[in-house]
Amino acid sequence: MGYSFDFRSVSFGPLWEGLIVTLQLTVAANIIGVVLGFPLALLIMSRFAPIRLPAMLFVEFFRCTPAIVQIVWFFYCVPMLFNVFLGSMTMGILALGLNLMAFNAEAYRAAIQAVPREQLDAGIALGLNPLQRTLYIVLPTAVRASIPVLLTNGIGIFQQSALVAIVAVQDLMYQAKTLATETYRPIETFTIVALVYFAVSFPVSQIVGYLERRRQLMMS
Amino acid sequence: MTMSFSAPLVKIKSLHKSYGPHIQVLKGLDIEMKPGERVVVIGPSGGGKSTLLRVMMGLEKIDSGSISFAGKPYISSEAADKKTVIDTEVRRSIGMVFQHYTLFPHLNVIQNLILAPCKVRGENKASATKRAQALLERFGLGAKASAYPAQLSGGQKQRVAIARALMLDPKLMLFDEVTSALDPELVAEVEQVILQLAAQDMPMMIVTHDMWFAKNIASRVIFCAGGVVVEDGPPEQVLGSPKEERTRDFIERVFHIRH
Repeated sequence: MGYSFDFRSVSFGPLWEGLIVTLQLTVAANIIGVVLGFPLALLIMSRFAPIRLPAMLFVEFFRCTPAIVQIVWFFYCVPMLFNVFLGSMTMGILALGLNLMAFNAEAYRAAIQAVPREQLDAGIALGLNPLQRTLYIVLPTAVRASIPVLLTNGIGIFQQSALVAIVAVQDLMYQAKTLATETYRPIETFTIVALVYFAVSFPVSQIVGYLERRRQLMMS
Repeated sequence: MTMSFSAPLVKIKSLHKSYGPHIQVLKGLDIEMKPGERVVVIGPSGGGKSTLLRVMMGLEKIDSGSISFAGKPYISSEAADKKTVIDTEVRRSIGMVFQHYTLFPHLNVIQNLILAPCKVRGENKASATKRAQALLERFGLGAKASAYPAQLSGGQKQRVAIARALMLDPKLMLFDEVTSALDPELVAEVEQVILQLAAQDMPMMIVTHDMWFAKNIASRVIFCAGGVVVEDGPPEQVLGSPKEERTRDFIERVFHIRH
């Protein structure tokens, strides 16, 4: 065990740039996932099979394949099959965003279905029409109920975004690999990078825990 | 002696309702309710009491039969296509309070009260809020206007639910076991509010298992079992000296009263 740590050779400049890229990927993917996940949830709950089945297929594709396969597929197969390549950053955002959209749709669906039947009965008894019941009862209750899962999924995408390094998006992980190779200091570099991922994720997971405890209190 | 004739407020004609092909809950129910009457419906569980109220509110489909309110038919179904037709305009004259608290958890008390008046009737927010505040004061909840449902006791929640239904000026109130989920010490405050409404001649139909409450509020008691009306009459008769064997058995069993 003669290894002597040397953190001085790890330069923070590239890591900082990488973190910025990682955060951009995360934020953009979350905007896609949070906004488009909701209409997708409505589609997978449609009574009309030609609408429901393609939507379910979309969701299941993302849920039942590894994220790394989705990313690779997106980068290599989509450009060849459809002749579109929108730049590695855009492609990365799309791959992560669509993945998150599928997972968030499931979170929204569970939350919508968890709105108690009695709430809707009360809405009918108060004369609210179906659209008003959706807008004023189902939507606010379901969105609130799904926030902890949306945050968990969102921070999951922050971590999974490290996978786009393999297709040359210059995120935190990519910069780390480059740096580790250049400096011959992989242990120091990846230790620091792990700590950075942890430092961002941990507070969010604490917030999720807090929200869930508060929610249980609200529901009791 | 003067003859007083009053048209029925509610007229239920041969109401049939089943869940699936085998479970018949209502098997031809006929009830006429006069204005100003306070009908308490009692009976064994599964006998169709709650289903009756839910059907009257338009929350359940029916197989056949019809219900009219103030002379206007508003729920009907023809046996042929089993399609339940509901006139939502007429139904708006009816308010309902449920067993489980159904306050909207994301809205505070005032917001719960004014949601329907503002969205359904297009009332402006200021006037609805003013009416809501007055109603809350009347029910001893004036200080709770900005509280959220989670911050209220069960009894307070049910009183808010009653106030919320009253915001739409119903001409008939339906109470479906509104005290069954409450802790015993909270039952009285909810029953007081309903008695207060009764004193103002609000017509109501009440499903309850509370004997004291039934006696004090009913102007008429209906014993419902097996999907039909078994006995129907003034409370002294149905609760005090029931004619039907089944009514007597039920009252002895549930209310522990020997005749």
